[in-house]
Amino acid sequence: MATTQRAGKKQRQTEQDGLTAVAEALGFDEETLRGLYRKMVLIRLFEDAAQRTFRQGKIGGYLHVYSGQEAVATGFLAAFQEGDRAITAYRDHAHALLLGSDPKAVMAELFGRGTGLVKGKGGSMHLFDVANGLWGGYGIVGGHIPLGVGMAYAERYWGSDAVVQLYLGDGAIHNAAYHEAANLAGLWGRDGLNPTLFILENNQYGMGTSVERATAMTDLAAKFDSYAIEHEKVDGMDLVAVLACAQRVTERVRETGKPYAVEALTYRLVAHGAGDFFEKYRTKEEVRTWRERDPIGLFEQKLLAAGVADEQGLGAIRDEAKQIVDEAVRFADESPEPPLEELHTDVYADAE
Amino acid sequence: MATEIKRPSTGAIQGAFHDGTTPRTGPDSIHPPLDHVDVGAGTISATVAPPSVGDEGLPHETLREMYRLVALARAVDERMWQVNRAGRAPFAVSGQGHEAAQIGAAFALDRSKDIVLPYYRDLALSLAFGLTASDLMMSVLAKAGDPASGARQMPAHYGSARLRIVTASSPVSTQLPHATGTAYAAKLRGTGQVSLACFGEGGSSKGDFHEACNFAGIHKLPVIFFCENNRYAISVPQNLQMAIDNVADRAAGYGFPGVVVDGTDLLAVHQVVKAAADRARRGEGPTLVEAKVYRFTPHTSDDDDRTYRSPEEVKAWRARDPLALFEARLREVGALDDETLTEIKGRIKSEVNEATEAAEQAPFPDPTTFDRHVYAER
Repeated sequence: MATTQRAGKKQRQTEQDGLTAVAEALGFDEETLRGLYRKMVLIRLFEDAAQRTFRQGKIGGYLHVYSGQEAVATGFLAAFQEGDRAITAYRDHAHALLLGSDPKAVMAELFGRGTGLVKGKGGSMHLFDVANGLWGGYGIVGGHIPLGVGMAYAERYWGSDAVVQLYLGDGAIHNAAYHEAANLAGLWGRDGLNPTLFILENNQYGMGTSVERATAMTDLAAKFDSYAIEHEKVDGMDLVAVLACAQRVTERVRETGKPYAVEALTYRLVAHGAGDFFEKYRTKEEVRTWRERDPIGLFEQKLLAAGVADEQGLGAIRDEAKQIVDEAVRFADESPEPPLEELHTDVYADAE
Repeated sequence: MATEIKRPSTGAIQGAFHDGTTPRTGPDSIHPPLDHVDVGAGTISATVAPPSVGDEGLPHETLREMYRLVALARAVDERMWQVNRAGRAPFAVSGQGHEAAQIGAAFALDRSKDIVLPYYRDLALSLAFGLTASDLMMSVLAKAGDPASGARQMPAHYGSARLRIVTASSPVSTQLPHATGTAYAAKLRGTGQVSLACFGEGGSSKGDFHEACNFAGIHKLPVIFFCENNRYAISVPQNLQMAIDNVADRAAGYGFPGVVVDGTDLLAVHQVVKAAADRARRGEGPTLVEAKVYRFTPHTSDDDDRTYRSPEEVKAWRARDPLALFEARLREVGALDDETLTEIKGRIKSEVNEATEAAEQAPFPDPTTFDRHVYAER
């Protein structure tokens, strides 16, 4: 929308100036930047390990990994403040790790062990960590969108200034639940009662269906016009761009109480899920070209160019992340199954 | 198994494209995500149809038939309320104020082959597609002769397989995915049929609307989504229902045109729906038409509209009664005079009286048949 474009023009110029300018604007020191790199690497190695152990038969059910999309959640959750809430669909491991869930507990959850984040009862798709602000983890496409919008309403109704980061995929936007929730968000937002930040992770495919086969109007951000919700796009492969955007729009939502939408253009470098063979619906060339813009590789390059890290330093961070992941796998492997008596707990609220 | 991490092989990374207007260019624009984006499509809002002029080139005989149906619909509608208030019908829900929009739309279709999916206000549309006053009175009085279901359906849930009127359901907007389905079938079978589905502005907030429109858009289906926007979803005014002004603006999100038209102007609606039907038959896909109308009655016989709108507002809209407007227009163009009008009105009066009489005399359904129309019968 025109007004947004005008207001954000100057800031966007800063965002385009690159890492140093953005870091300065956000008040991020070098250690913070290296920390963000550590987080993205941890996610990638965690997801690699999850895929490996899934193939070994150690993870039951289903598995959707985040490889390729790291810059999106890493960038947006860098703007997350205590009291904010995040809610997402089933590609949720990264969100848990970024919000501070113990990697050991997350891996144990994938393994279905009693030491898991939700006692081994949720699995990969249903991570939940309320203490850290993660409100799920949902398996039904689009099903979490009304919940997120409702949470945002509740926060303002109770008088808080929290923001709800609501992550959804490019496939979910065509779902009925999106339409109903976005309509209410736009409506309540007029009165400053809906601080929902819609983060549309457009990874180009709803499972095997490409965006242009899923809708006749492929400018997904512009679909928010139907609800009078302002929006923009961001390069979801570029952490620096996401960081700058996230900081700006999160503050905007916090101040106005109005919803806002960002379409992050990204790519899933791996299959949709463990049972998916992506060769059937995308070409090797396409995957290769997107790999050239691997978010971790892009950020490495920027860190090196700005002199924030050297090859040795990056190597040390990767080794450190690998140790954390190895430890998580070992922990999950050695953890006991949930005890049988847990079968009936956490189903209903406890009676007084 | 491990995902290989690559650094870009090319030089500096260009900035992001937040505003959605700057396509990526330069050496690093590898498979630019904006390639498939029709930039700006989302900013297209609905077009507003011009008011009609004169007789719009229609034969006067056709205009008189249109008028007869508007007037007949109004008369049947009023009779339904009378029998409800007299305690003989349990429920009435009607379309007074919507008639011109419905008749304008119906006459823009091929009534010998197209498919309509009405909602509960589409009394006039259903008459135009072949239901009779008698059928409608049977329905409201729950008599065995009700063609929709032999009195199983609620009143105003019009339907007839023979007449290609797809029966309505009480849940709001379920007819929209059905319309996308009938249009998809017509396309696959190559029948050349157009489907027209009606709904209110309240129904456009339902998820069914979203999924129906999106799918119809992708497959360029011959369907017209016809919104009869009467400004109130039961008691909820439009500004408490959605944050935008026009339902038709939502068409842009699905990649097809949206048109706003004055629903009290029968001939303007006719022009717009005709263009939409032609477009559909040419294989160019759906259109969302929003006819702005006003409902003169309460939502149903179980509603008291004085609790949410002022009598002055209703009165102001009644001054633009589409029946009176159309009558004035036809007099103006010389398609209607006192004599013809008296003749038409007399015919309608006896038709409605006979229909009421017949329905009141007709038997209720045989209780032993109560489980019919639940499953298909061999």
